[in-house]
Amino acid sequence: MHENAIFSKREISFLKELTRNHVEFMIVGLSAAALQGAPVVTQDVDLWFKDLNDPGILKALKKVDGVFVSSISQNPPMFAGDSVKLFDIVVHMHGLNSFKEEAKSAEKMKLAGVLILVLPLARIIKSKQALGRPKDKMVMRVLKDAIRAKDEKKTNDR
Amino acid sequence: MKLSPEKLRHLCKKRGLTLSGVLRKARVSRSAFYSLPLKEDTVFPRSVRVVADLLGVSPSAFLEEESEAIRKARLLARNVAKVAAKYPGIDLDNVRHTFLLLEEYPVVRLRRALTRARKCNILKT
Repeated sequence: MHENAIFSKREISFLKELTRNHVEFMIVGLSAAALQGAPVVTQDVDLWFKDLNDPGILKALKKVDGVFVSSISQNPPMFAGDSVKLFDIVVHMHGLNSFKEEAKSAEKMKLAGVLILVLPLARIIKSKQALGRPKDKMVMRVLKDAIRAKDEKKTNDR
Repeated sequence: MKLSPEKLRHLCKKRGLTLSGVLRKARVSRSAFYSLPLKEDTVFPRSVRVVADLLGVSPSAFLEEESEAIRKARLLARNVAKVAAKYPGIDLDNVRHTFLLLEEYPVVRLRRALTRARKCNILKT
């Protein structure tokens, strides 16, 4: 795949390195919704970490030439570097339970060979309802319709 | 399913007949014959059966399966309609696109979402 292609080998290798270093994380937000088939648009891939101090994160970053930038004034912590610039760090999920609790019901999905946890659509809606920003409200209907279509497909596939 | 003019013509030729002659005997106009609605799960229209009898074959001998693309499109439309019946007022585009995306690999779905966002940004600038 072309080096500049969106979500290519370099991004996948970061997820692979996180997994290899046993870092507990899951994909949340609209990228999680997109992975589950919702016809949404998103700028980045939100990663929710169980523990942002996990040394495995730094090890994974080092492998892909990425760096961790601590929180500066009102800006949340972030990753920097070509291979990780598409990822956003999520430190708290509004309206949801702890990472440990949410991980129990998370969808397990293979992403280019890497098994990752993905926050289910219903939980994404719950969190967006809690946030209640205009951009969250705008996408709510798409997410709800996607759940219905997904349920129908599940029934048909049985 | 649809009528195959090629198969029909071939069958007629094998029996030394012409298609127009067979249709005349069956008292069916050519245009009406080709616009017959055919569904796998329903009984064939009378005219189709008459033509088949005249040729001494089963109607399936001059029918052809729809292409895979058409079959998939029909299935998609049926599934969307099912969801719409369950949830009146639902956005049909959302449902249709979800069904289509569910046919793709997760990584492809994600790439599409990210690509569309990038295109939106291009349009803004």
